[in-house]
This record gives sequence, structure tokens and C-alpha cells, in this order.
Amino acid sequence: MHDDGLDAFDAFGQDPLNEEEFAEQEGELDDGAGEFEDGLLEEELRQAAAILDPVPAELLQFAMDAYALYDLDARLAELTFDSLVDAIPIRGVTDAPRMLTFTAGELSIDVEVTSEGLMGQVMPPQPAGIEVLGGPQVLHPTTLTADAMGRFTSAAPPTGPFALRLRAGGEVVVTEWLRA
Amino acid sequence: MRAGTLPSTAYDDMPYTRGGTVDRAEVGALVQSAVDGDAAAWKALVEGLSPLVWSVVRSHRLSDADGHEVYQTVWLRFSQHLRRIREPQKAGSWLASTARNECLKVIKSLRRLMPTDDPQLLDRVSEERTPEQSLIDAEEAASDAERIRRLWQEFEELGDRCRQLLRVLMASPPPSYQEVSAGLGIAVGSIGPMRQRCLRRLRARLDALGAL
Repeated sequence: MHDDGLDAFDAFGQDPLNEEEFAEQEGELDDGAGEFEDGLLEEELRQAAAILDPVPAELLQFAMDAYALYDLDARLAELTFDSLVDAIPIRGVTDAPRMLTFTAGELSIDVEVTSEGLMGQVMPPQPAGIEVLGGPQVLHPTTLTADAMGRFTSAAPPTGPFALRLRAGGEVVVTEWLRA
Repeated sequence: MRAGTLPSTAYDDMPYTRGGTVDRAEVGALVQSAVDGDAAAWKALVEGLSPLVWSVVRSHRLSDADGHEVYQTVWLRFSQHLRRIREPQKAGSWLASTARNECLKVIKSLRRLMPTDDPQLLDRVSEERTPEQSLIDAEEAASDAERIRRLWQEFEELGDRCRQLLRVLMASPPPSYQEVSAGLGIAVGSIGPMRQRCLRRLRARLDALGAL
């Protein structure tokens, strides 16, 4: 069972030179001419990548537009818990909801994302207006209201990257962008 | 690092600021200008560092849809953190490391959804244009195109680690070793020796084909 790790994919960094890929003995490696040829080959690869696997134009545009969301007024709530990374997986449970906690000073926001939608709570409990931001192309973000207990729900799960922008107690707080 | 591997300290002192169209020393100044509201500085950052972010995403072999969302998330988050990045001149490393973390999250969530160890499932075929199709578009000189196709094919057939390392190294402008390290989670000192082995392995394959 491999439900607890990223082996084979993040094994990089744990043991990078010990794989069979690098296991065989190779000759003396370093000489100036070889290094020069390495540089040429790397440059050819760079040209090949620019032709065969460039940054898609729409993504480049997306990144340009992301600057419009640069928000001077809002305080950032950082992701301080992500069940995907921080929780111990339960064997056999493959569709556990994604549990997230964002924190900005005294304020925290717990969010649970499932295929059914999104629910959460502002702590300490308080009413709040919440926008679900969905990237620079989304002109009209979904708005939610947290009740007196700070609880809020949305029937639509976020698609793609999202952030929550809260107005609570006279200040604006925005959560770190995340892909649900 | 375990004993018996290549010494990782030997390379740590080397100032790996390899050349490129974006002078990495300027990156810090561009970040500061973008913080101050200069949209042109942001544009320059996107143009200069997008290929690095994209390369890190591609090196993790996500599906197109997942890869696109990771790329988007990275830039959205960069805009949020602009004012808070402690070492603005290392914005490239920040982006590479954020891209890597998001890629690993995708891989981890897929693992949970699909109780399988079969990496083929993670390695879905692109739904968009295949390299071959793109190549036809780009084909002005048939022999150049053929050369590039062969090069790419041999590159794709390298082992995972070489393929991953070279995919990040071939970003344009060339990433610094700190950026490669941040994007792949490997020690700066092991990048040089691995790069050399991987490039020579690739050249040996090409030589065997008589391609280059």
C-alpha cells in the first residue's frame, strides 16, 4: 500500500544519486570540452522546449492578469493546515473532504471542501460577508454570508484556484490562493 | 545526503547565476517596482519567470488540466505575497518552490482518489496538441524539425530523474541552480554532476541513433 507518501514522484531529494539510473560506474567526467558540449546540448533542449512545450499563451495572459488581484487593502490569511499534507491518511478512505485552515493573527477560517460544495466557519465566531474569488477571469464572485456563529456554506464547490475574501469586524482578510 | 554519494558541499559556494534574458539581479528590483504599482515590472517578471514555473510543472508530469491550475495558483499566490517575499531577488526560487509544492499536492490527491500504484494513470496523455501537431505548425525547415523531434523523443525516454532535471534546466532563460533546487527539492550541489550525467546519457542515445 502506498497511501502515505509520494514515493517515485517526490523521491527526488531523498536519495537522488542512489537510483539504478545513476548506479552504474561511469568514466572520469570532467573535462572542458565535455562541459562545452553539455552546454550546447542543453541549449538545443531549450530550443526544442520552446517549440514543443512552450508556456501556453492563455496561461501567460492569466499570469499577466493576476496582477489586477494584487490587493493592497486586504490582510493575508495564510494556509496553516491542509489535510492533504498535514493529516494522517485513513486507510481505505479515499474521498475524505479537504480540510483547510487559514490564519491571520487572531482570526482563523476553517474550510471544508467536498464535491458537494464548500462549508466553513470564521473563528472567533462572528458574522462576515465572504466572496469566493476565482481568478482574474471571474468578474462576479459568489458571495456568501457567515451567520452569527461564523458559519457559512456554498452549494458550489470551487473549480480551479480560489480564495476567500472576508469582511469581518471592519477589516478585509483574504485567504491564500489554493487549488481545491 | 548519505555517505558515499557525491560530495554536495563542493558546489555550494559557486555563484550559480547563469545568464539569461532576465538578469536575476534585476528580479529584486522588478519585484519592488511591482509592489509600488508598476504593471510593466509585473509583466517583465511574468515574461522572465513563466518558463521556469512552467518547466517545474511539466517536469512533474501532471495532466494538462492539473498543470494549468497549478501554474495559475502559483502566479495568483505570487501576486498575494509580492510585498512579503523576504528575499525579492530570489523570487524565481520562491516561484519554483511554490510550483513544486502544488504539484506534489496534486500527485498526492490523485493517489488518494485512485488507490493504485500504477504511475501510468498519473501520466495521462495530453488532451491538447501533441508535440507532433505543434511540430507540424512550426515546421519550416523539415530537417531541423526532424532533429528536434528526435532530440525530444530521446529526452522523453530518459529515466524519470534525468527527464525531470533536464526539463527544468531547459527553461528559458536558464534557471539558476538555486531555482532548480527549489523546483525539484534536490541539493544545489548535486545538480551539476546529475546534469552532466543526464546530458551525456542523452548524447549517447542520440549518437546511437546517428541523429546529431
